[in-house]
Amino acid sequence: MSNINRIRLGDGVYFNDVRDSRFKTMKITANMIVPLRADTASANALICGVLSRSCKAYPDFTALSKKLSALYGAELNASMRKAGDNQVLTLSVSGLDDRYTLEGESVARELSLLLCSVIFEPNLCDGVFVPGEVEQEKRQLLDLMDSECNDKRIYANGQLIRHMCAGEVFGIKRYGTAESVRAQTPQSLTAAWKQLLQTAVFEILYIGDSAPDKAVEVFRAAFDGAARIPQITQTEIIRQAGEPKFVTETMNIAQAKLVMGFRAGTALPDSEVTAATLMTAVLGGTANSKLFCNVREKQSLCYYCGARYDKMKGLVIIDSGVEGENIEKLQAGVRKEIEDMQNGVITDFEIEATKMAIINTYYSSNDTVSGIESWYATQLFDGAFKTIEEMTDKLNAVTKEEIVAAANRLTLDTVYVLKNQ
Amino acid sequence: MKTVIHEVKSPRAGDSYYQIKHQSGLNMYVYPKQGYRSAYAIIGAKYGSINTCFSGDGGEKITVPDGIAHYLEHKLFESAEGDAFTRYAETGASANAYTSFEKTCYLFSCTDKFDESFEILLDFVQDPYFTPQTVQKEQGIIGQEIKMYDDSPDWRVMFNMLGGMYHNHPVKIDIAGTVETIADITAEKLYACYNTFYNLNNMVLCVAGNVTVEQVLAICDRMLKPSEPHTIETYFEDEPYEIVEPYVEQRFAVSMPIFNLGFKERAGQTLSEQKLAQTDILLSALASPTSALYRDLMDNNLINSSFSYELFEGPGYCAVIFSGESRAPKQAAEKIKQYIAAVKEKGLSDEDFTIAKKAVYGDVISSLNSVGSIANMIVDYHVNGNELFTYIDAVAATEKADVDNRLQEMLDVCNCTLSVVCNADEAE
Repeated sequence: MSNINRIRLGDGVYFNDVRDSRFKTMKITANMIVPLRADTASANALICGVLSRSCKAYPDFTALSKKLSALYGAELNASMRKAGDNQVLTLSVSGLDDRYTLEGESVARELSLLLCSVIFEPNLCDGVFVPGEVEQEKRQLLDLMDSECNDKRIYANGQLIRHMCAGEVFGIKRYGTAESVRAQTPQSLTAAWKQLLQTAVFEILYIGDSAPDKAVEVFRAAFDGAARIPQITQTEIIRQAGEPKFVTETMNIAQAKLVMGFRAGTALPDSEVTAATLMTAVLGGTANSKLFCNVREKQSLCYYCGARYDKMKGLVIIDSGVEGENIEKLQAGVRKEIEDMQNGVITDFEIEATKMAIINTYYSSNDTVSGIESWYATQLFDGAFKTIEEMTDKLNAVTKEEIVAAANRLTLDTVYVLKNQ
Repeated sequence: MKTVIHEVKSPRAGDSYYQIKHQSGLNMYVYPKQGYRSAYAIIGAKYGSINTCFSGDGGEKITVPDGIAHYLEHKLFESAEGDAFTRYAETGASANAYTSFEKTCYLFSCTDKFDESFEILLDFVQDPYFTPQTVQKEQGIIGQEIKMYDDSPDWRVMFNMLGGMYHNHPVKIDIAGTVETIADITAEKLYACYNTFYNLNNMVLCVAGNVTVEQVLAICDRMLKPSEPHTIETYFEDEPYEIVEPYVEQRFAVSMPIFNLGFKERAGQTLSEQKLAQTDILLSALASPTSALYRDLMDNNLINSSFSYELFEGPGYCAVIFSGESRAPKQAAEKIKQYIAAVKEKGLSDEDFTIAKKAVYGDVISSLNSVGSIANMIVDYHVNGNELFTYIDAVAATEKADVDNRLQEMLDVCNCTLSVVCNADEAE
């Protein structure tokens, strides 16, 4: 992985600089990390959107879009995600590296300044966000929440978490609820923005060819002397499921969905996380996994059936789409593969092939800007950044016994089925 | 035939690659990228879901079931010795394949053992193995793939629109076919398709990333079995210029209605690099977030940030599609049509043109970051008879008058279809 240089700019403010001349673009991402809370999730999600729509220098959406397009189709993106019991709000800019502009313009410097402007100098009217822009953003977020139901796979996975983690912080959606979105006002959002600047942990990541001196300077100045109280939550880990819950919902659909949620029994910062990662991949992470080879290829039950591991929350989720009448057969098939793993029915070939496949994704990620970004973004909560070589060594050191132990830590928590009416 | 190698350079992009006509008949591109650890290889046949009625070398005209190209893609991974995924497992490569309207592609990416993975790829695409048992086994898997798409409103809204636009062209038929049509697929039919279309002269290969041209050629020389040049004729019924119907709607379990507004374009020769550049700049100027249209639709709550546009082009079909989520799709479509009509009257503004040109230029240069996107683009351009760096130069050379003229040839507001997927209670 390209080397990373980490600079502390203030309390809970870090600038991570990755210098790489191979790419034709540069990118700066500001990750703002706050505890996930029912009463702030929607406001934070909305702020992220509002900030990306305009700023003092480009006070409406069209003016800002024109500026970005004139910078060779540069992009300013806002997104939000959950990382365990934290909410990560992301604002990023990316655009052509100066070497490739048609008239020698400097895109990188302008984009760095622009990102700082949208975060620190928003378009305020009488000291608060512009009401029209707030309303527009509320509508967009409500649309987004509704559109998640359009994709039945996303919907089914969301419902699994909702039922499995009801009563846990992790059960809160990354953007809160529709009710709390509707309740926000320009005043409440302005207050939440100020709160965010004071309490969020800022992890800024730069990937580009030239030195990001200007961006460092502006971020440093913005936080200079600021009294900050950065907060990060410790994610609640439930290591063992109780009696399994079964939830069935019906809808007018062609294909049924089955989602099974397990407690993995291990999560960050445990050292067993690497074994759990490998175990999940052997089970259902590649085109040679047990689920792919047996449930799909041998039994012809489905087109997709995969497993993934959330190392922050300690969950393993298995999801598939299946003929309604075959749900039981599919569930039995999945359980059989897990039991096999728990009983040590795993070949050396399966283990070696899976290790190679994962290592391939590690090294591949270093060849794209987004890959480098996600390499570091997924390690923000790991305590320290690891290199690809370090991660590869850790993975290669995992033994069959450790994989079997990881499989034996799985406990089924919730089974969610979406069926045709 | 001898292998012919030609180096293609782009000083503007700071990159170069090799275009090769291999002695076996295969069209090849090798695009080495300095400093990259990964390599991406893709081989494709000019054979997709629309090639359902054809003849080879002037022989008998054959009609095959809908969805057979996609079915063949699934089955080609198998050989008498096992399937290709198991072989890739020994190299660590990440492999995949896809079928579109006009091509079928097989690909892998890797950061180690490139030679071994590349041999697997070239081996299995030249080694069909279809038996009644292996063909039968795939019915359940592909049946579930089809059903997954049946539940996808994005997929349905597009095919409903194509059905509203095209009278006869097979582009309106679902790429994977239906559960009924795939039931008619047999090993014999798969061989008939394979033997016609998987001739190396009808195929294209691109490798990008951590490779040298010598390395790729050495393996190709050893692995590729020479194909005799042959002629392939695909038969399409005549397609009128006019659309079938202006509005199609499907009720569906969605909570956010979605729409596709497709403008049917004249489809003859596929667009040249110059026309493609003009079209891309035009569409960016008309409908990107920078445009007055986007602003107007947004301010009136008629679209959200899911709004997008694309040029949709292939053998015998061409359309421009505007798509997105909307609580009032008919009003959104009306505004788009009105705006296009108005710009046709007065032309683009200088500012809109200048900004759009820079945005399109920045996009294509940015896409040269990734070995995967490079290889995919080169294959796409090849299939349409175009070349990537020529396109980049064409974007840089485009003048506003070219784009204004281009607009006059396209986007006929009287020849478009609006397709909507919504819940019963949301119909306007």
